[in-house]
Amino acid sequence: MGGYGDVQMIDENGIRMDGRSAEDIRPVTINAGIIPVADGSAEVIWGTNHVVAAVYGPMEAHPRKIQKQDRAVLDVRYNMAPFSTTDRIRPGFNRRSREISKVTAEALESVVLTELYPRSKIRVEIEVLTAEAGTRCAGITAASVALADAGIPMTDMVISVASGKINGIVVCDLNKEEDNYGEADLPMGVCANSGDLVFLQMDGDLSPEEFQIAWDYNMGAIAPVHEIMIDALKRSNGGEE
Amino acid sequence: MSAPPVPELLRAHLSKLAENDERLDGRERFQGREVIVETGVLARAEGSARVQMGDTIVLAGVKFQIMTPYPDRPTSGGFMTSAEVRPVSGVHWEAGPPSPEAIELGRVVDRGIRESGCIDMEDLCILPGEKAWQVILDVFALSDDGNLFDAFATAAMAALRTAVIPGERFDVGEDRPLPVSKTPMMCSYHRVGGRFVYDAVRREEIGGAERIHITLGDDNHVHSLQKGLKGAFTAAEFEEIMQHARSRCAELRDLVNN
Repeated sequence: MGGYGDVQMIDENGIRMDGRSAEDIRPVTINAGIIPVADGSAEVIWGTNHVVAAVYGPMEAHPRKIQKQDRAVLDVRYNMAPFSTTDRIRPGFNRRSREISKVTAEALESVVLTELYPRSKIRVEIEVLTAEAGTRCAGITAASVALADAGIPMTDMVISVASGKINGIVVCDLNKEEDNYGEADLPMGVCANSGDLVFLQMDGDLSPEEFQIAWDYNMGAIAPVHEIMIDALKRSNGGEE
Repeated sequence: MSAPPVPELLRAHLSKLAENDERLDGRERFQGREVIVETGVLARAEGSARVQMGDTIVLAGVKFQIMTPYPDRPTSGGFMTSAEVRPVSGVHWEAGPPSPEAIELGRVVDRGIRESGCIDMEDLCILPGEKAWQVILDVFALSDDGNLFDAFATAAMAALRTAVIPGERFDVGEDRPLPVSKTPMMCSYHRVGGRFVYDAVRREEIGGAERIHITLGDDNHVHSLQKGLKGAFTAAEFEEIMQHARSRCAELRDLVNN
């Protein structure tokens, strides 16, 4: 068994501390249209994670130097609220949130039909209200629903989930306790319909076999979350469930 | 906040409505929107609340830190308010360091609570001269359709009243509720169409002039006042507003205390 110290995160039957099996994700609830003044919005409650996203636009991009002549720019911000973690976070951007904002923008640019809105800007604001490991994935998922809620044309919706390794065993969707002892983390953003990847990061240590299991666990989580997204959009737009 | 283009049409419309003593959403001059208060909404905060007034939605979260008391007050803890109006809350709020408007919001909310003395700073002392609790109140706008001031102030008191000092996590005794002895409440008024209205929506703010914020304590004592934006008001106008604030603050206080 690998890992730090003697903390046992998985029992002999492969059951995790919160009762999940290795391939299970935490309970997910999604609601769309939760910010009345936004053009589109969504909240994702993923385990204890609570992440909201708002979309404004398309609107005129200013200053002009940020305009693209052939497409819209996606102006994405990921931020953690000061009360989102056990120890308060001082407000303001840091290197971590800038990097996550950048890779999130690039993931979403891959599916949004930005060429329909030359010289304009679409603002995507992601705010983490409560953090419990996996906030970047919840943020990308929330942003996808908010973009759809805003009626922004997209080729596909992105769902993001991470798998990792604890006590030498690959598991899907690490919670906070597991993440504290995690030996690897593989977050992926996958298009619901095409199965294409638009977001990929990894850190830690995975053997080729472990990597394949983590990859498969992530892929297996996409369809169930997609269902929940579609359901949220139907509810907020007056359709039947 | 970016300056909206001078909304002359909106201004004219609001003046027209004011002639018949009407408002954009059909409310009376001193009629507030329904206020919905929920507590315990943020899992990582030691006290929290969500307040909704129409399409305005805000959150407040209370966190605690251990601080070294100030040399001139070795037996006192600390209290700090920070207002975050992130661009998630409206197209008119932009990214970047806190704007003067956001800083004013935080400071006015802070003053009303601090000056009411509702938090006993001496009670926050752990070890005189060495250790004390610092109460950090973060107010956060989720959706700005006007009157963030009152929404923040209401959420702040609701969050503080449910806050638990995390003694066990910091290894300085047991967890215990933060003692909050009073409930100061804020009422805000905007000049719209020539006269003052209570609880303005965003479009009234854009098409309005100066604003006045009043924080009153349990016994109707005044704890903070703030006049914002360009404009001049008469003593008679202020008297009328103050009359209304006394009754409305009492209603809001009942809402938060229960």
